[in-house]
Amino acid sequence: MEGVSYQRFPKIKIREVRDDFMKFELRETDSSIANALRRVMIAEVPTIAIDLVEIEVNSSVLNDEFIAHRLGLIPLTSERAMGMRFSRDCDACDGDGQCEYCSVEFHLRAKCINDQTLDVTSKDLYSSDHTVVPVDFSDSSSGFDNSENKGIIIVKLRRGQELILRAIARKGIGKDHAKWSPAATVTFMYEPDIYINEELMESLTPDEKREFVESSPTPVFKFDENTNQAYTYDEEVIKKAESMGKPGLVEIRAKEDCFIFTVESTGAIKASQLVLNAIDVLKQKLDAVRLSADTVEADEQFGELGAHMRGG
Amino acid sequence: MNAPDRYERFVVPEGVAKVSYERDTKIINAASFTIEREDHTIGNIVRMQLHRDENVLFAGYKLPHPLKYKIIIRIHTTSQSSPMQAYNQAINDLDKELDHLKNAFEAELARHSGSQSRQY
Repeated sequence: MEGVSYQRFPKIKIREVRDDFMKFELRETDSSIANALRRVMIAEVPTIAIDLVEIEVNSSVLNDEFIAHRLGLIPLTSERAMGMRFSRDCDACDGDGQCEYCSVEFHLRAKCINDQTLDVTSKDLYSSDHTVVPVDFSDSSSGFDNSENKGIIIVKLRRGQELILRAIARKGIGKDHAKWSPAATVTFMYEPDIYINEELMESLTPDEKREFVESSPTPVFKFDENTNQAYTYDEEVIKKAESMGKPGLVEIRAKEDCFIFTVESTGAIKASQLVLNAIDVLKQKLDAVRLSADTVEADEQFGELGAHMRGG
Repeated sequence: MNAPDRYERFVVPEGVAKVSYERDTKIINAASFTIEREDHTIGNIVRMQLHRDENVLFAGYKLPHPLKYKIIIRIHTTSQSSPMQAYNQAINDLDKELDHLKNAFEAELARHSGSQSRQY
């Protein structure tokens, strides 16, 4: 058997971490891994979202399915999601989706009794499990203006209108429906290599140099120094160089194996946890795709030649 | 009307094998692996990892149709190895790489939060 391994050894450097936002660099790996991580973060990391709604009373201006749709899109804190089972795989309840192992129950009762419009928000949703609740978006760090965070408005009620419902939240993935996607946006870009041709630089007058430095929309260059920062490189600087009659002054190339990831989460999972879960999910997928001892070789009859003959 | 259900994209139905392969009748040491209910996410990383193997002469993947959720990975190897071996080796290497990535990430997170708390 092979003893040689063709493994890569990726490196990570974190630039910024907040609860719902993260920026980090991934080096010495292939773009396919970076892209796979991105795709998994968006579509295959499981979360919990409302999936089944039983409406008892609804006299609001929005119809039943409208409200059910809005309820589904409310992000719920999904720390539990990785350990939960999918409803279809649950043996405790025959896949019914009503047992405590694979679902979380919510209820909501609202009636408007006074003349003021009542805002029914995500804060009015009461959960049967205190670890799975609608995400609270109040920012504790920025104190100004966030005196009262009302939550996500579901529907507004007038005097006499009522809304009573029971909702069941289940585990799911973004591939099934976007309400289960834990990522707001996940992007990655290549880190640019900026080469400044020193000789040509010398031949510019100080005024020209200053113009050149100012022409780049994001402040990348300092006068008389080069700094290499995160720069979504556009062509401005290169165009300026050409317009000054000095093409080839600056060359911007992408480093092929260094990626700068920006991960924003909806709040269902913390951004750092989202990346870790994505790596776990990707490993699980690879495990599922292994050739096992009982992977039977497809019969000759069903081979490529056979399929050709049958027009497949 | 003809669109398949969304869960078809990742739920393997009863009786269908997740992975199966067919040897090529006309070329030795060549095989096509059919993986059900997977897409570019797995296809691309396995293919790029197979490219790194010196014994692999050809490695490619395709989605025969965007509404039929499966991928076909085709591998030709030299006689030093076999497609099944190369495939397993690629998956093992990817698994180890992801392990390494996870450890590096956790270590970096710990280091980063450690240094942050020291600032306060």
